[in-house]
Amino acid sequence: MKTVLEVKGLKKDFSNFSLQDVSFSLQEGCISGFIGVNGAGKTTTIKSILGLVLKDAGSIKLFGQEIDQNERELKNHIGIVLDDGYFYENMTIKEMKNVFAPAYSNWDEAVYKSYTERFGLQVNQKISTLSRGMRMKYAIALALSHHADLLIMDEPTSGLDPLVRSELMDILLEFMQEEGKTVFFSTHITSDLDKVADVLILIDKGRIVLNQEKDTLLDTHGLIKGDKMALDDNTRKLFISLHETRYGFEGVTNQKSAVRQQMKGVLIERPTIEDIMLAYVGGDEDDL
Amino acid sequence: MIFDLVKKDVILAKRYLIFMLVFAIGAPLYIEIQTGSLSGGFLGFVITVLFVLYMLFNTVSMSEDKYQGPALLSATPYTRSALVKAKYIFILLIFVVSYIIYSITSALVPTYLPTLNILTLGISLFLIALYFGIIIPLQYQFGYEKVRYISFFAIFITPFVFPGILKWLHSNNMSLQMMLSIPQGIQDLLPFLLTILIGFLSMAISIRIYSKKDL
Repeated sequence: MKTVLEVKGLKKDFSNFSLQDVSFSLQEGCISGFIGVNGAGKTTTIKSILGLVLKDAGSIKLFGQEIDQNERELKNHIGIVLDDGYFYENMTIKEMKNVFAPAYSNWDEAVYKSYTERFGLQVNQKISTLSRGMRMKYAIALALSHHADLLIMDEPTSGLDPLVRSELMDILLEFMQEEGKTVFFSTHITSDLDKVADVLILIDKGRIVLNQEKDTLLDTHGLIKGDKMALDDNTRKLFISLHETRYGFEGVTNQKSAVRQQMKGVLIERPTIEDIMLAYVGGDEDDL
Repeated sequence: MIFDLVKKDVILAKRYLIFMLVFAIGAPLYIEIQTGSLSGGFLGFVITVLFVLYMLFNTVSMSEDKYQGPALLSATPYTRSALVKAKYIFILLIFVVSYIIYSITSALVPTYLPTLNILTLGISLFLIALYFGIIIPLQYQFGYEKVRYISFFAIFITPFVFPGILKWLHSNNMSLQMMLSIPQGIQDLLPFLLTILIGFLSMAISIRIYSKKDL
């Protein structure tokens, strides 16, 4: 598979937060979910890729070329959907498009028109009057109308109702049917990725914690439930996260076979992406 | 590409465009009638254009600050340098339009509104360049919210300061031409040359500041 985007050793220091040696790559034809809790560094990483946040160190290459050295040419290949839109809300849909479209050398008005018709967008409607769902659809229409090869989306589903979220996932799958397309999609709503993601990249406190194919990740991890009697000093070490109550326990492991061998009578279930994410970032520390 | 960004600023300012058009016709007339045209149209023109530009530039800056549109545009193939350059071109465009409006009004009512000579036009452009040449880089450095009070105060005092200076010059029997004891051709050119110098210097500083900002 061809590497589309390669981030290596990315560092960025803020007074209260920093990205530390963030490295990952995106492969052509894959939807990569970029997951992490709020404040983990997802938006900063995406803004660094797009050149909105200036990196302190590291390299960000698109199709083998440093983005910051070939900005104009390379950004023609990227479609962007940012959290909150960043639109001039006092403009109409048509006015905003007229500002946005000339930036791209390969803007396709026919494609744009087909999206606006499909989404029922009224060109003379003010952006401020659009619902969150419609605003997202408008952002998608703008992002996909210049034949982008890489679609970067920052928290696109945040605040959307389940129906619109599901529609968005269908649009992504449709986009991926074309040859050579790639999606990088940040979210803290991990259930969105169950349906569409090929690869999951987990970031926590500015560091990449996991970077694996979704199916492999779900296959190699297990959600273990059982009686407290099954736990001792050795078996406790098999868990990434473990929550005990007076009667039982629940934990996530990445050593399923060892659990099978050493812990008899426990229940091994397939975890959700959220179970795995919370196990690694320690966001689920309360007792059951 | 830059033209489209200038167009964007015009769209953002469109709410006040008609009002400013009317203001650009009426204000110079009013000022010149009140001051007895002792400045040869300079005072009426420069105060009007300064107010028009201040209003429109502030409207654009307020929208940009509120909606963070420049961040979205910077993520597209538009460069930050182009975004900055467009701001300066927008100022120049509004100045030119104001001058055209003034000239048409002056041609229609020459008794009340004198035609601007090249030196007066040059000095007006120079003063505008000086004001925005300072305000724009400050705004890129400190943000719209912090700088708006400075820009408001500077604009607020101009109707009081400019006539005072002109009256003083007049009462001391001095004119703008007399202050420059150099050939007329160079006198006429000098404000334009200084404007170009200030404009490019300010633009280079703004580009430098903006290219190092996290958006």
